[in-house]
Amino acid sequence: MTRVLEIELNGERRADPIEDNLLLLDYLRETVGLTGTKTGCDGGECGACTVLVDGVPRLSCLTLACSLVHRRVETVEGAGADGMLSAVQRGFHEKLGAQCGYCTPGFVVAATALLRWNADPTDDEIRAALGSNICRCTGYVKIIEAVRHAAALQSKGVRARVARPGSC
Amino acid sequence: MDVLPNFSVTHAASIDDIVRARAAAPDSRLIAGGTDLMVNIRRGIVAPSVLIDVSQVAELRTIRADADAIELGAAVTLAEVAAHPGVQQHFASVAEAAGSIAGPTHRNMGTVGGNLCLDTRCIFYNQSEWWRGAINHCLKTTGAICHVAPKSRGVCFATFSGDLAPALLVHGAEVEVGGPAGRRIFPLERLYIGHARQDRPFSETLGDGKSYLGLRPREFVIAVRAGRTPGLISGYDKIRIRRSIEYPVAGVAVALRRDGPAFADLRIAFTGTNPRPVLLAGTETLRGRSFDEESRDRLEALVRDQVMSMKTTFTPGHYRRRVASVLARRSVARLFERGESD
Amino acid sequence: MNAPLESGIGGYVPMVDGPEKVSGRARYTADLAVRPGTLVARLYRSPYAHAEILEVDVSQATRLPGVRAVITGADCDRTFGVLPIARSEHPLARGKVRYRGEPVAAVAAVDDATAKAAIALIRMKVRELPAYFSAAEALAPDALPIHERKRGNIEREVRFEIGDVAQAFAEADLVQEGTYHCPEVCQNQMEMHAALVDYDAEADRLTVHATTQTPHYIHLMMAHVLELPMSKIRVIKPHVGGGFGARTETLNVELIAALLARKTRGRVRLVVTREETFLTHRGRPESHIRVKIGLRRDGRITGVECDCIQRGGAHSGYGIVTILYAGSLLYGLYDLKHVNYHGVRALTNTPPCGAFRGHGTVNVRFAFESLLDRMAEQLGLDPLSVRRANLLVPPTFTDNDLMVNSYGLPECIDWVERRSGWRERRGRLPRGQGLGFACSHYVSGASKAVNPGSEPNATVKVRLDHDGSVAVLSGAAEIGQGSTTVIAQTVAEVLGLGLDRVHVISGDSDLVPTDNGSYSSRVTFQVGNAALDAARQLKTILLNAAARRLETRVENVECLGEHYRAGAQDTGLSFDEVAAEALRGGTIVVTGTYTTIPESHGGKKYLGAAIGGTMAFSYSAQVVQVSVDEDTGVVNVEKVWVAHDCGKALNRLTVEGQVQGSVWMGMGQAMSEEMGYHEGLMVAANMLDYRVPTIFDSPDIEVGIVESNDPHGPFGAKEAGEGSLAALLPALANAVHDAIGIRFDALPMTPDRILAAIEKRRRGHA
Repeated sequence: MTRVLEIELNGERRADPIEDNLLLLDYLRETVGLTGTKTGCDGGECGACTVLVDGVPRLSCLTLACSLVHRRVETVEGAGADGMLSAVQRGFHEKLGAQCGYCTPGFVVAATALLRWNADPTDDEIRAALGSNICRCTGYVKIIEAVRHAAALQSKGVRARVARPGSC
Repeated sequence: MDVLPNFSVTHAASIDDIVRARAAAPDSRLIAGGTDLMVNIRRGIVAPSVLIDVSQVAELRTIRADADAIELGAAVTLAEVAAHPGVQQHFASVAEAAGSIAGPTHRNMGTVGGNLCLDTRCIFYNQSEWWRGAINHCLKTTGAICHVAPKSRGVCFATFSGDLAPALLVHGAEVEVGGPAGRRIFPLERLYIGHARQDRPFSETLGDGKSYLGLRPREFVIAVRAGRTPGLISGYDKIRIRRSIEYPVAGVAVALRRDGPAFADLRIAFTGTNPRPVLLAGTETLRGRSFDEESRDRLEALVRDQVMSMKTTFTPGHYRRRVASVLARRSVARLFERGESD
Repeated sequence: MNAPLESGIGGYVPMVDGPEKVSGRARYTADLAVRPGTLVARLYRSPYAHAEILEVDVSQATRLPGVRAVITGADCDRTFGVLPIARSEHPLARGKVRYRGEPVAAVAAVDDATAKAAIALIRMKVRELPAYFSAAEALAPDALPIHERKRGNIEREVRFEIGDVAQAFAEADLVQEGTYHCPEVCQNQMEMHAALVDYDAEADRLTVHATTQTPHYIHLMMAHVLELPMSKIRVIKPHVGGGFGARTETLNVELIAALLARKTRGRVRLVVTREETFLTHRGRPESHIRVKIGLRRDGRITGVECDCIQRGGAHSGYGIVTILYAGSLLYGLYDLKHVNYHGVRALTNTPPCGAFRGHGTVNVRFAFESLLDRMAEQLGLDPLSVRRANLLVPPTFTDNDLMVNSYGLPECIDWVERRSGWRERRGRLPRGQGLGFACSHYVSGASKAVNPGSEPNATVKVRLDHDGSVAVLSGAAEIGQGSTTVIAQTVAEVLGLGLDRVHVISGDSDLVPTDNGSYSSRVTFQVGNAALDAARQLKTILLNAAARRLETRVENVECLGEHYRAGAQDTGLSFDEVAAEALRGGTIVVTGTYTTIPESHGGKKYLGAAIGGTMAFSYSAQVVQVSVDEDTGVVNVEKVWVAHDCGKALNRLTVEGQVQGSVWMGMGQAMSEEMGYHEGLMVAANMLDYRVPTIFDSPDIEVGIVESNDPHGPFGAKEAGEGSLAALLPALANAVHDAIGIRFDALPMTPDRILAAIEKRRRGHA
């Protein structure tokens, strides 16, 4: 069945005709052309496709696009502003949290959600937030450093602390 | 892109919507988080013509937990369960189980209903269509034999791996289901019928890894509830090869109450071992005893008799059974000690 | 200390392509904009392990509306394979299928749904043959040959004895033997294999985009298989999501996509699934290793005997190199005098193995260092002292003619000893906790490339542009390891410029000189040296131009990067002015090359024993700390201290990242990763059962950089991305032994295996 998906994507409202069986991952990559979100496995095993839906990390490879009518979706492309890197992106760049870069969008998105509700996470809290994401290059050491660095960068900018979406 | 088979999606707003949608499409499946079902659809294991999205059904989103009782709607996410202060404080096994399922992103998606009804798993089943076809499929799909136990006389040994079920079973939970004939409430233990064992032939009354849920046609889980027994403390522990993302190699929930130096009540439930979560029978024989050597031996004997793991995972069955026993003993010891100070 | 240079050589420099990656702008093959009309390809794979193909019926699939082409083995009779002497694979199977998952037919259709539907309509008739899933089965006397040309299913057998091992054992105070088993493991890089191929019918020209570490090898193989001149093929390597050796040879994925593109006279996109990426395999082979060492009380190793049997899979791939490396790389780490090696590479009905990070050395090193630890204990020697008693003294050649000019192993051992508190803490940790130690090494580029005639070993062009920027044209394949960054840094360093003046153009065969690609840790050393050569030539041109403008002799001109002057009082010229002067004669492109010296090629004294020839070895020493839960068998890797001799850290950030990544990858093999098969069917062909460690399973890895300044390395540099992998496995096993007193000779050390060993010991004591 075809329907029109009205959705807020990286701050912009869109309406796209889609089929019911379209995954959010394929909607982003093929319909919209936002290829930052990656396919890394055959479903739910690697986290490369992580995006935020209403501020909460989700695996877009297991999410149906048609179930997100009027929801707010954020991808790695929406993380920065004015063409500049966000604190999280800068953290990953400067501390070598990205090597081949393929898992990076998923990590950046998950870390972005973490730093919104916890501006100064401990290493254990960083692990707890990134535990659905697999990286094959770094051994995670520099990813943890990258998130710590991002928190420091963020604290120099706007210190926003909001309630964690999805928790009661 | 890996295009999915054709299906349409119905977005339900109420329990009645679900009942109607199920009536209209008998092969329909409910979906909320999709962490189990979508993987199976992507692998061609199931191909429903209609998916009923229940994630926005208000009644299924109920979450309540306090000193008296717990109620979890089927569409409440695992992250919500884990983060709920009432669950954490009064139903620790449930919070600990929910908070340790898969990984953090999975828990933002996966739901109570999905984890309670989690499809049973097996290395010969959770594979692609091509893969399964290469060995002529298996009993759980369209094949003639179980590759885990080729002499099993029609019994499928796929393993139940949900973490919430044991955590709720030790609290004596009941489940409410809806369906064409209305609603009914029954003990959660009866939701699971995968009693099949290697040493017995298949029978309709004793389900197996394929026939593992005690739901009638078109029934679905609405909520799970439990009252709180004063003094009962609980916990959940499990072993995984990796400490995130994957399913338990073995998981154990324990709830107990102490009366001075002795057990007043002891309940233990397992997951990741049998085609159903196993609420250990016979633990009442430990009532009035302290957790001494003989109690430990009795407990181990009960586990040995009731927990049965086959080679349905990469990790050998005998290890899962062995470690289930170890975890049970440890959790009981930990809670028994804590029960004293409480 | 000098202030950090603008090029950042020796500093912590974020990767030049980092912003693209963290912003999601980096395009990988599957991300390339797909025009309307691009066809989608899918593969039909053999469900049989070993069978004679009687018929592949594609008639129904061909008739399906929307299908543009269906091809089978009949469409291509050429074979491919990375080693010219072992081209055993067809892009699509012909005559026989040899493993479950081997591609048999391929479809190009208007969309994915149609392509999938067409695949489901393909029928294959076969006569099944006995299949061999283990080396032992395949090597049995009555086994049928999997390849006609390889009787006995032996891909390669190699034997050498250097010195007199029997005599050496007679002189030892302790001679011990151990057998070790390492299961097959797989790179499982995050990006799945993909190819996008355009066929321009008018020009009869192919443009290939592929997920590869070796675009030039694809170029060569594509020309061979499609029978096109190389000038009719353009190979583009977009961003690549990791490789670790899986992509160091041409894979069937890109060849099939090209065959389909040519047949449909259009544009074909083939992105395979994660399962198919596993099936394409090229991982480290399952290995059975027997090793025997003679040791004296003073710690000296008197002799070594080693047998290695590898299950190679259904095709050759790099197999011959792997089995040779496994023997030759016994050398190069310690001073060994008497060594006997026997290696057998078997062909089996499983997916073909390849060149996984630490190619050849990892499993043998696990066996060797594990046994050495055991023997040190029996003689009451400190494991570090044993290594210190067997150090090489550079410059030297090993007895199998491997050249060693720089050797930072002693410093590596010192560093981990100090940082881990080895002397104070070893033996004093609580029960269940332990420390383990081991060493390893790796080549900085094989001195002889796999393609004959591919000299020089590396070529880099540097172009001075009219806008005052410097373009570096290199065929080196950036796959996340930082090659682009290090090349840019090298050129910037020589010219004294900031990195913003220098940009690297790579990954397009139409633009860049040929390069053998990113494997055997050759890029920093070989391409780095070529970049150095090119940059120095350009600097000479710039100095001469400045001399002309300043009307002085070139020896008087001082280059300060952005500023050239003749003497401290001279106001001098800006770089732009010098560049403009230099460019008055027209475009400036200089070509830098690097050729390894013949002394590094290994001699011919011992057949097969010197194949590890390299210009320089990296060295690594590691201490691993673990705790073991003796009730459940769960091992927790708490901390790793690793010191790596990379000659000179051109970029400390990327060196640390490479060392951490390789140590961690070794941990995956040691702890949880293994391919498993059910009758030749890969059981763990997904990321749930193939257990790559998660962030929860991964310890802090503290890196010490040791700089031995190799005389031939660019600025003294050697490799950093592979040498530390191998030591992790034995260091971890030795730590587990230290914790619970049990030695593990089989990997991975999953809780079930640990607990089984603990319980076996308990029963023994009871």
